[in-house]
Amino acid sequence: MIKTYFKTAWRYLLNNKTTTLISIAGLAVGICCFLLLTTYLLNELRYDRFYPNADRIVRVGNNYKTINDNQETNSAVTPTAVVPVFKRQIAGIEDGVRIYNYSGYKPVTVQYKDDLFNEKKVLLADDSFFKIFGFKFLAGNAASALSTPGSLVLTASTAKKYFGNDNPVGKILKVNQTNNMMVTGVIEDVPAYSQIKFDMLGSYSMLDRSKVLKWDSGNDYSYFLLKPGAAATSVQQKMNLYLTDVLKSQQKPGRHAWFTLEKLTDVHLHSSLSNGLEPSGNIKYIYILSFVAVILLVLACINFLNLVTARAAERAHEIGVRKVMGAQRKQLFIQFITEAGLITLASLLIGLALAYLAFPAFSNFAGSQLGLSTWRFTWLAPLLSGLFITVTLLTGAYPALYLSAFKPVTNMKGHGSSKNGNLRKGLVVLQFVVSVFFIICTLIVGHQLRYIQSMDTGINRSQVLVMDIGGMPFNKIETFKNAISTQPGIKSTTASYDSPVQIKGGYTITQAEGKSPDYSLSITGIPVERGFVNTLGIKLLQGSDYTPADEKQVMTDTFANRKYSFIINETAARALGWKPEQAIGKRIGVNGRIGKVKAVTRDFNFASLHKSITPVVLFAEYDWFSKLLIKTSAGNLQNTLTGIKQTWKSFYPNTPFEAHFLDQEFDEMYQNEQRTGGILNIFTAVTVFISCLGLFGLAIFTTKQRFKEVSIRKVLGASVSNIVALVSSDFLKLVFTAIIIASPLAWYAMNRWLQDFAYRITLSWWIFVLSAVLTVLLAFITVSYQTLRAALINPVKGLRSE
Amino acid sequence: MLSLKNISKHYNVGGNKTFVLNKIDLDVDAGEFISIMGPSGSGKSTLLNIIGLLDEPSEGYHYFLGEAIHNLKEKQRSALYKSNIGFVFQAYHLIDELTVYENIETPLIYQDVKSSERKALVADILDRFQIVGKKDLFPAQLSGGQQQLVGIARALITKPKLLLADEPTGNLNSKQGEDIMELFRKLNKEDGVTIIQVTHSEKNAEFGSRIINLLDGKIDSSRNI
Repeated sequence: MIKTYFKTAWRYLLNNKTTTLISIAGLAVGICCFLLLTTYLLNELRYDRFYPNADRIVRVGNNYKTINDNQETNSAVTPTAVVPVFKRQIAGIEDGVRIYNYSGYKPVTVQYKDDLFNEKKVLLADDSFFKIFGFKFLAGNAASALSTPGSLVLTASTAKKYFGNDNPVGKILKVNQTNNMMVTGVIEDVPAYSQIKFDMLGSYSMLDRSKVLKWDSGNDYSYFLLKPGAAATSVQQKMNLYLTDVLKSQQKPGRHAWFTLEKLTDVHLHSSLSNGLEPSGNIKYIYILSFVAVILLVLACINFLNLVTARAAERAHEIGVRKVMGAQRKQLFIQFITEAGLITLASLLIGLALAYLAFPAFSNFAGSQLGLSTWRFTWLAPLLSGLFITVTLLTGAYPALYLSAFKPVTNMKGHGSSKNGNLRKGLVVLQFVVSVFFIICTLIVGHQLRYIQSMDTGINRSQVLVMDIGGMPFNKIETFKNAISTQPGIKSTTASYDSPVQIKGGYTITQAEGKSPDYSLSITGIPVERGFVNTLGIKLLQGSDYTPADEKQVMTDTFANRKYSFIINETAARALGWKPEQAIGKRIGVNGRIGKVKAVTRDFNFASLHKSITPVVLFAEYDWFSKLLIKTSAGNLQNTLTGIKQTWKSFYPNTPFEAHFLDQEFDEMYQNEQRTGGILNIFTAVTVFISCLGLFGLAIFTTKQRFKEVSIRKVLGASVSNIVALVSSDFLKLVFTAIIIASPLAWYAMNRWLQDFAYRITLSWWIFVLSAVLTVLLAFITVSYQTLRAALINPVKGLRSE
Repeated sequence: MLSLKNISKHYNVGGNKTFVLNKIDLDVDAGEFISIMGPSGSGKSTLLNIIGLLDEPSEGYHYFLGEAIHNLKEKQRSALYKSNIGFVFQAYHLIDELTVYENIETPLIYQDVKSSERKALVADILDRFQIVGKKDLFPAQLSGGQQQLVGIARALITKPKLLLADEPTGNLNSKQGEDIMELFRKLNKEDGVTIIQVTHSEKNAEFGSRIINLLDGKIDSSRNI
């Protein structure tokens, strides 16, 4: 019995190769995408959950706002006092750790014998780190690994890089050319799905500030291990009570500050704090992608469903005969379910193979280091069997119920009714609603990304080379500058504390002229070298750029003897209540630096375009620069680069040359969006493909059904174009309906998405028209082959078949 | 074996009742070979379908093998049908995806006959109809006459007491038609199968033992041969 079911199903599928292929192709692609997305989603959702104490670890958020600030600042970097003080004061906290991103500003150079590497993932942490996070030690002792200054723990692959198969423990590495650090342990590599990623972890005690407990100027990330049963909310409350009661004297008047605690497992997807150890994901995208995964699968199932029910007329005869031969409904039901099952099984296997092949490309694309190791039998097996059952039922049950209910006599006469034409049309419309929606979204996202890239941000980024020089003394910078300034292709050079597209320093303006003594305004600030404004093409509205005289006034060693002058932006002037021309010469203080406003710049973007421009203050201060900015001329970039590199080598043979273009850095800030755009492109292509496949399959059957009608029309004198128009118009009507439904939905969704950007395109009608035209064109091409074939038939043939 | 009393079948067309069958009374005894004749639209096929339990009358009483069909539930009707009635069609109605062998075997599968028994029964009938050589061919590879032979073999595989044939020779040439009619006569005489056929051909009708003429849904005449 079962053998017969399989045999019939198999033969039927073979005899109808086109529809079988369409069904399998659609389903396989749908399943492939579903598997890839599921892998990605599972990877995102298991972020940080592997830590043995994951449910008890919290991250501290540092929040503040002054009366004069427009918005509060929520940052993940915290002052040095947070961990030691609260650990002592609050009962619910079992332990805590401060982590400093040692390679945050520039790569750390690490030397072992003659090998010299630039390390980009080096963290420093208190010795409680391993107790809290519990990494597995392959060599060394977790309890004492970080207890002495200058100790260093390596991951397995880093250890291999430096020492091969030798035992690394006890070996000395030279860090940043000055510090000798001893390897005290080797741990397993840190998984890609951890928010704390590092290749080397040194002792926090090597930092001077480790002994000083300060409540301002945050630089570190603080994590607490709560006692079992301690609630994060009550600990947070106690922290803030301590802040208001005990530390009242430390608070500046009018400044409201508070701490928040985030669960470790919430940080990756739910955090809104800025300056985290790594840019966080967004739970919104997780929801969207889950939705997309399900939708893709449903679309693929619809194809199959439509083809089977469209074929109902053809099968009606067979069903009639079988019923006459004594088949019961149950038996027919099993037969059709078997067919669906076979198709699903084939699609599942092909989809799995496709996903396997597409995996490296996809993980590269998704930007998360997904390995095939993510595929575990434990979840893949239930997922696949679940998929098999769901898809089989989804695609098999309805047609099986529908077909097996046919009455034999009516169907035996040849042509079964196709009463479910409306359902079929509805499903096709649904497919195209999704397609049109995705097409519109893709166009808008692409448009917005291009807009960001080409927007005038007030800084001329092109041809600006950025070198990481992290903390090099200014006299050395100057010598190097002088050495390269004579080279051809270099227009100007300047140094700054931060990258000009991502200025991070939080400062406060106080003692502003004409304001009350309480006045304070949170601003972003950046120490710069003379020439900063000029090199980056920032426009001055009032006042003038720094002169060598200004430079001299801040070059004295003692802070007190310096005379500062400030360049502020338009927004800062406005926040201070001054017109640009009024601001010139006014006195302000920036965290203790007293001086006069020397110039007001036109607003420029110094942070992500998700945020609007806030007040920023540039000031000449030559103590610490991390970036050297070199403006090059357009021609022969390669020679210029080689020249700079050679000069660098002759100055610092032991420090690898590290440089990138400012444009590149700017683009990387929108990696998340680029990635979303990329994923969107792929899935748009897939949905369009699946929908067109469905339309194509449907066209085959509709034209077949209308054979007789078309024949009669031809006998009556219809031309080929008449017939094509007649048959295509039916399909195009469906597509038009889909466009009308999808456009407002897409408008709504994209409007929401664009709200996240302070600088955004306006949604213009042409995008919607373009999408509509594209879809109609695609649909027309898809059905044209079938309609043309119908139009070119010999009418005698069509009529004889009756 | 079969008795129809006051059987009518009507449809509502634009508020008017259109009668396909109008108060038919018919008794059929076991062993009869009846030919139903009449012009197009006289209700021949509808009558045959009602007798074959494929269609239901709008009103009237229907007895088959002593059972009151009009009182039976769908399931009982289906059981009665499966084991007692075989159908042969003008258009053969073989399943294209199945071989000759499998087409003939299918009714047995639906009756849950065991595999070994099925083999024996099918082999038997293939032999009897002299189509053993064709058993692995698909319907499309056979001539019309051969296809109809398979259709008849399939109808007979369950050893029905009543064989219903709706213009069985309608798609065949005269030689093939005559062979089929000879076969029917043989089945009727030698195996005692009761046969009711619908036909247009005067000549084919003569093979039977009684001819019933239908006109506008009523029995116009009935004569024994």
